Amino acid sequence: MASTLRPYLTCIRNTLDAAMCLQNFPCQEVERHNKPEIELKSSPELLLNPVLICRNESEKCLIETSINSLRISLKVKQADELENILTKKFLRFLSMRAEAFQVLRRKPVQGYDISFLITNYHCEEMQKHKLIDFIVQFMEDIDKEISELKMSVNTRGRLVATEFLKQFI
Amino acid sequence: MAVTAVHQLAQCITCHAWSADRSMVALCPNNSEVHIYRLVEDKWEKMHVLQKHDQLISGIDWSARSNKIVTASHDRNSYVWNLERSEWVPTLVILRLNRAALCVQWSPKENKFAVGSGAKTVCICYYEQENNWWVSKLIRKRHDSSVTCVSWHPDNILVASTSTDGKCRIFSTFIKGVDAKDPKNESRFGELIVQLDLSPSWTFGVKWSPSGNTLAYVGHNSVIYFVDDVGPSPLAQNVVFRDLPLRDVLFVSEKMVIGVGYDCIPMVFAADERGIWSFIRYLGERKAVSSGSRYGSQFSEAFGKFYGQAKQGGSNDASETSRTRGVVHENCINSIIPLSRQGTQIRRFSTTGLDGKLVMWDLETEQDLLELLVH
Repeated sequence: MASTLRPYLTCIRNTLDAAMCLQNFPCQEVERHNKPEIELKSSPELLLNPVLICRNESEKCLIETSINSLRISLKVKQADELENILTKKFLRFLSMRAEAFQVLRRKPVQGYDISFLITNYHCEEMQKHKLIDFIVQFMEDIDKEISELKMSVNTRGRLVATEFLKQFI
Repeated sequence: MAVTAVHQLAQCITCHAWSADRSMVALCPNNSEVHIYRLVEDKWEKMHVLQKHDQLISGIDWSARSNKIVTASHDRNSYVWNLERSEWVPTLVILRLNRAALCVQWSPKENKFAVGSGAKTVCICYYEQENNWWVSKLIRKRHDSSVTCVSWHPDNILVASTSTDGKCRIFSTFIKGVDAKDPKNESRFGELIVQLDLSPSWTFGVKWSPSGNTLAYVGHNSVIYFVDDVGPSPLAQNVVFRDLPLRDVLFVSEKMVIGVGYDCIPMVFAADERGIWSFIRYLGERKAVSSGSRYGSQFSEAFGKFYGQAKQGGSNDASETSRTRGVVHENCINSIIPLSRQGTQIRRFSTTGLDGKLVMWDLETEQDLLELLVH
């Protein structure tokens, strides 16, 4: 399984390197406004083709770019019901605290587990390669975190059950 | 090294312009003000702050002979600033635009200026002596999307404009009373001379060569387009390069162009004797591919790490890597302005970028490029 992780992450990193060429662009539809065009989608000429990178059927990454903003949506591997619940709760926990992360989107895009929204303002304040490092690191760690959580749930369940059943021995 | 000086003047610079004697520079530090700095004994002193706009200033141009500064902003306005007894006095120009102004440039004779806007139009303004104000005339023919860059032909009549719809359009801006009548060039105001549909992606940074014979502009698909003999039958070439797209170009001679963009290093393009353009090299070392830095696997640490390391030049290893890479600009370069002119050649130019640095470059140290320049 690990053999496909490196090429997957390298592919995402290279795509982000090309996609994160953002610039400040005032809204064409509403005067004096400046909105992320990828969320608005009002002018099709300002959007680039979305790129979908799939590691396997259950893990994929959608990168949508526009002239001033970029949206990265991830679908994380969920092997069984327990992982499904853990992933949902964990990513919801992170998304609700999106202000602290700055580049996180509060709600994931339909069909995905978590989404990032990077605008030209983020690229001006922060360095591009560091932003890309953050995203890729996030993807690497999320698998580890979910499996750690799953293991701790199973361990706790086992301990509790052992203690409870001791009274019947 | 081609770099002669690096100055950190702000956190992020949107655009800049030099005064005629190159002693003062006007720049916009990513807000609604224009800061004018003067080089006093090796240190930059902020001389003036021009505050009149409400939103980000997207374009500044400083005319050489008449010493006027024109600024255009996202708040749909443009001001012409005159220096009166050491104070810069603004004059509002009613552009009659209903969207942001994105770029501005004085014409070669400095009697007109062109403004490109998000309203998909180009606006030409000229000074009306009788009423003592600047009048704007909109070019009726609209682009299909926002106009990103405008550039004047040396004849003071033609203006080229690029847009996010991928096309470059050349208009005639002949205005009765302002321009001298030219018997061989009978064109009306706002007439579309040529429409170049070469790029499938957004186009930026259009510039004319010193003689006005060649036009160069960049597309977001990492291609630079060169058009020779602009007229009824233009000859177009495109040079595809491997790396990230460019934002702006500068003709340093009739046959050499410097392009700047998201790669943070200027790229040199030149035409050989047959007139075929190609990429020569970078002006400086190419940065190495960055390896992933360790953040730690706990998400509670992620908050702190994200703030600490992702901010500009924060931690120690950030400055270490940029020094070893030998890269001058750390973020996208968005404009390139000539500094000195020797006949039709430009040996020195300056670039500013989103990292807030103003870098001055000199081609005197690059022997191989000098040889290409001279031909």
